[in-house]
Amino acid sequence: MLPDIEHEPSETARPPVDMRARAAWLGRHVIPHEPELRNWLRRREVRDLDTSDVVQEVYARLVALPSVVHIQNPKTYAFQVAASIVVSHARRLKVVPIVTLGGVDEVHVAAEQPSPEQVAVDRDELRRLAQALARLPTRVAEVFHLRRVEGLSQRDVAARLGIAESTVEKHMVRGVIMMADWFKSGGSHRATSSKTVIESTGRRNGPGNR
Amino acid sequence: MVRETAEEIDEIAAAWAVCVDRGLTAAEAAALEAWLEGDVRRSGAYARMTWVLMSTEKADLLAAAYGEAPARTPKPAVMTRRRWMAAGGAMAASFVAAGVYLGVDRPVVHGTRIGEKKVVSLGDGSVITLNTATRLEVAYSKDRRHVRLLAGEALFDVAKDPARPFVVSVRGADVRAVGTSFTVSSLNRDAVRVLVREGVVEVSPPAGGARRVTRLAANDRAVVSGGAGPVVVAQLPPSEVDAELAWRQGRIVFRGESLAAAVRTFSRYSDIAIIIDDPALGAEQVSGVFDANDPIGFARSIALSLQVRAEIGADQVRLTR
Repeated sequence: MLPDIEHEPSETARPPVDMRARAAWLGRHVIPHEPELRNWLRRREVRDLDTSDVVQEVYARLVALPSVVHIQNPKTYAFQVAASIVVSHARRLKVVPIVTLGGVDEVHVAAEQPSPEQVAVDRDELRRLAQALARLPTRVAEVFHLRRVEGLSQRDVAARLGIAESTVEKHMVRGVIMMADWFKSGGSHRATSSKTVIESTGRRNGPGNR
Repeated sequence: MVRETAEEIDEIAAAWAVCVDRGLTAAEAAALEAWLEGDVRRSGAYARMTWVLMSTEKADLLAAAYGEAPARTPKPAVMTRRRWMAAGGAMAASFVAAGVYLGVDRPVVHGTRIGEKKVVSLGDGSVITLNTATRLEVAYSKDRRHVRLLAGEALFDVAKDPARPFVVSVRGADVRAVGTSFTVSSLNRDAVRVLVREGVVEVSPPAGGARRVTRLAANDRAVVSGGAGPVVVAQLPPSEVDAELAWRQGRIVFRGESLAAAVRTFSRYSDIAIIIDDPALGAEQVSGVFDANDPIGFARSIALSLQVRAEIGADQVRLTR
């Protein structure tokens, strides 16, 4: 007989969060505020605390929530999560916590400013996407075009361009990293060193070559 | 062990997001799970990269805005830098002009092909997840968020907005929610089904009969038969609700359904037909978790566990004793 799902190890664990749905929520409600969150974190100036580490942990905690339906103001929520990460880090260091209640109050102030209309967010989202795509190197842009506009599979893209499927995949990864860098800064600085980055991807414990 | 830097995690997370996009092998899926467990920051980086990659799915909108005809030109008419930018401007402008996200009641159609799945984020924070072969139409206005489910199945994660109820119309019935999570399915032969994951949902059957409103709570499933038939409600154990929603992870869960019913379910997800000639074989019970897009793998495991033969052809699999 086939394995009964009742006996699968995840029996008592929560059902896994749908990553695409959660990523869509983050993309709409939190990622647009990431440049501001990074600025805010940089001003905390806690020793040995890397802004990018905290940002990743903020997203990780938002991913771990069983549901986000109840979160009325995702931006405030994300800043509060960031503040609590900073505080617990400061406690571990046994330094005087720099983020006191005052720090969190600041978050409230920031969030109370009238948030831009969703209309503007949607418009910005597409404009930012267009800008990010426009900055990709030609070959990478070509791969994204074939995958996303022409709707070809990775294999078909490889056939069309006469390159290995693994090369197509590398171009995709490079494009994603460059775009992520672009979004990180709110589109104000150039994506850096993505080329060297790609050469090393997948060698350590990343996805293996098939 | 040296602590990974955020940048190193980002690189690997991006690679995983791309792999998931092209489809993972079972071994890769296990490796991804293991990788995510390794450091608290990894799932955050992975979610972020997943979104970056997802955002490029809208590239076809940009191309369409530019007047590009996707997949028709024999030679790839690749978008250049300038054209992406121009499309971005045109698209941003056309959104305003058309008022798609401005609260004007102009329906937008979303659809999936067989075997496809899609997540649609709406302007109010609600998210619709479309299962295979699904079509629906979204029309938001000032006082109502209206979705018409034309075919298939979708999960609705509704953002709370008491001033604007969220209503899904399907074959004359209305499913109404304020802020909650529920699925509605409208498959060819079956009755309309509503399954509530969180919150409260109200179901109004098609007009004609006694138009009574049925309230559903979490884990309730309602079956709305055609015509003026009653709305039949059953409370499901949470594990069964999870099984019903396994399609979001690309899986199908069977818990003792007949093989014939399982084969019907698979036919929704793939063009590859599974054929059973013997009705007695069709009546056998099946259990297990399967990849929704792998009917051949399913047929093979069935053949193995029921001791039958699976003849695999180009576009069909035949199961025989």
